[in-house]
Amino acid sequence: MSSAMQIMVVDDEENICEALAAWFQKDGYWVETAGSGPEALERMQQKPCDVYLVDIKMPGMDGLELLARLKEKQPDVDVIMITAHGSIQTAVEAMKRGACDYLCKPFDPDQLSLLMERVIASKALRDENIALREQLAEQRETIFEGFVAQSETMQKVFSIIEDVAPSSAPVLITGETGVGKELIAHTIHTHSEQSYGPFVAINCGALSETLLESEIFGHERGAFTGAAKARRGRLEMANNGTLFLDEVGEISTKMQVSLLRALEEKKFERLGGSRAIETNFRLISATHQDLPQLIKENQFREDFFYRINVITVPVAPLRERLEDVPALADHFLERYVQETGKRMEGFTQRALGMLMSYSWPGNVRELRNVIERAVVIARGRMIGAKELTFLNTPGAECQLGTLTLKEVEISHVRAALEACNWNISRAAKQLGIDRSTLNRKIKRYHMTRP
Amino acid sequence: MHTNQSKQTDKALLDLILLGHVNETAVSIVAANLQAIMGLNTDIRPVLDKPDYAYVPGRNQFDAAKIIKTLCSITDGAPLKLGLIESDLCSPILTFVYGESQLGGKAALVSLHRLSAEDPAVTYQRIAKISLHEVGHLLGIKHCWKTTCLMKHSSDLEPLDSLSLYFCSACEYEIKRHLETLINRDI
Ligand SMILES: Nc1ncnc2c1ncn2[C@@H]1O[C@H](COP(=O)(O)OP(=O)(O)OP(=O)(O)O)[C@@H](O)[C@H]1O
Ligand SMILES: [Mg+2]
Ligand SMILES: [Zn+2]
Ligand SMILES: [Zn+2]
Repeated sequence: MSSAMQIMVVDDEENICEALAAWFQKDGYWVETAGSGPEALERMQQKPCDVYLVDIKMPGMDGLELLARLKEKQPDVDVIMITAHGSIQTAVEAMKRGACDYLCKPFDPDQLSLLMERVIASKALRDENIALREQLAEQRETIFEGFVAQSETMQKVFSIIEDVAPSSAPVLITGETGVGKELIAHTIHTHSEQSYGPFVAINCGALSETLLESEIFGHERGAFTGAAKARRGRLEMANNGTLFLDEVGEISTKMQVSLLRALEEKKFERLGGSRAIETNFRLISATHQDLPQLIKENQFREDFFYRINVITVPVAPLRERLEDVPALADHFLERYVQETGKRMEGFTQRALGMLMSYSWPGNVRELRNVIERAVVIARGRMIGAKELTFLNTPGAECQLGTLTLKEVEISHVRAALEACNWNISRAAKQLGIDRSTLNRKIKRYHMTRP
Repeated sequence: MHTNQSKQTDKALLDLILLGHVNETAVSIVAANLQAIMGLNTDIRPVLDKPDYAYVPGRNQFDAAKIIKTLCSITDGAPLKLGLIESDLCSPILTFVYGESQLGGKAALVSLHRLSAEDPAVTYQRIAKISLHEVGHLLGIKHCWKTTCLMKHSSDLEPLDSLSLYFCSACEYEIKRHLETLINRDI
């Protein structure tokens, strides 16, 4: 269900309006009611809705006439007729004249749900919003995957999330690649007032400037070569939900000006259009870049920065919160075990040691991939050092962070030994040292063969 | 997720109001579940008369909206009211409803009429699920699309039976949040 969808119920009987409005509200829609045709038309001028539920029998302007007027002003509008037993003939007539469906009151609860699903599906298709629908479906799957926060720093992040989620203040999430910025953005969304609206994400680093601009703002027909059809942008799709601007540091300063205006006025125009479109969403941005530094270099606008950075959520790299590693490893193990149906019980001490002494330049995402690979290649019930040998690939340890030289040496030596199945000569060769040096290190670091 | 322990209060936050005779086991099961699953202190109030004012003659049902309005007008007792009735309910637009509730409001209503199963345990579970769902609405929670969450809308018994007696973590979080507001407002 997408609460970006706005519904108007038009019926002269107040209790019908009330009952329908209550029903739709519980399903997360935005609903308005009108007691007559003229009132509905007047409201439409101020704020058009996506779907109208119209009673056929109303004093003054009846449902059929209202249908014609609505279609005239807004040809792509969905109108559903409400009839009473005995006026089905009129409902059929209404369908011929462009109503998309009808309901015969009182209706079965299931009928109403099904009808709304049909309307949303056909609407999404029409708007070429299939991508959005898929994204919504995927979001439903992944949101509750769980958020692991063992370390004190992540606990702090979590309590910030809890505090800020219910407000609608803009949030800026900063941190290296793979630390969980998008997951945090999702989590804020699901705990917010907008949780029933869409979560619309856009990766600003993945598109060229012109594409990004039309992706964000949408465009009218003929706005540029290739714009054969008008298209809704992400700003519109995010209405009543959350807009997630990933890699916000990649947005050009020119586009920052337009975005700033859209954020301040809560309205904007599509590319090539002059009609102001209203939109209301919560903004969450993320970046791995140092925005204050970019501001100094005139690569980022200060006013835009203040606008998006009302609340900052800094996310530490995994190597600075190694306490999270075991919990995250268990979390991903459980997930992949479920996916593959393999029976796995956990990690050997040695394997955990390896995970704890690695520097994780790709952060949580890298850990996730490592566990996934380990589950795939594992033959036994436990994930052991053997399954993690690829952790030792040269060049992987380029960001050593807070590890001491000794820690790095231990993990590197251990990994080489595992990789060579404790064949001292081969491991020594791989490490570029001689056997006696390696033996000394094994002794000094109390390493034992598993 | 860290959550603040909600403030303890002995005062009931919800009154169970029986409209005519209602199966006693069902009543105590509803009260127990509200208490255990939602952390909602619940009082069982003396039985009221059957709501003849809400009877819809042609349909041999009772209008849920009218009963809810009456429950709302009760000024004493707990801030939230949940009516329980054995008769069948309808609304001006729907042929029947298992229950009805004011979103973020004061009163909700559940009918036992369509919930009976061969196995009484299943019957009681259905009654508990619908009650928790409607009280969820009372606390301002909208429908949830998580397939196993109690706030998922079930328009039929089959999907209702496939739910477990749990709210998903997001709904649970929201329920806690709304309850805390309610408790703070009430003391
Ligand atoms: N604390 C966490 N608990 C559980 N899973 C996590 C956690 N942090 C990250 N993940 C998982 O790690 C993966 C990477 O996270 P995410 O995509 O959110 O990172 P990101 O910071 O947005 O990365 P990038 O900057 O590359 O876009 C995802 O699969 C996410 O679910
Ligand atoms: Mg990301
Ligand atoms: Zn409901
Ligand atoms: Zn839920």
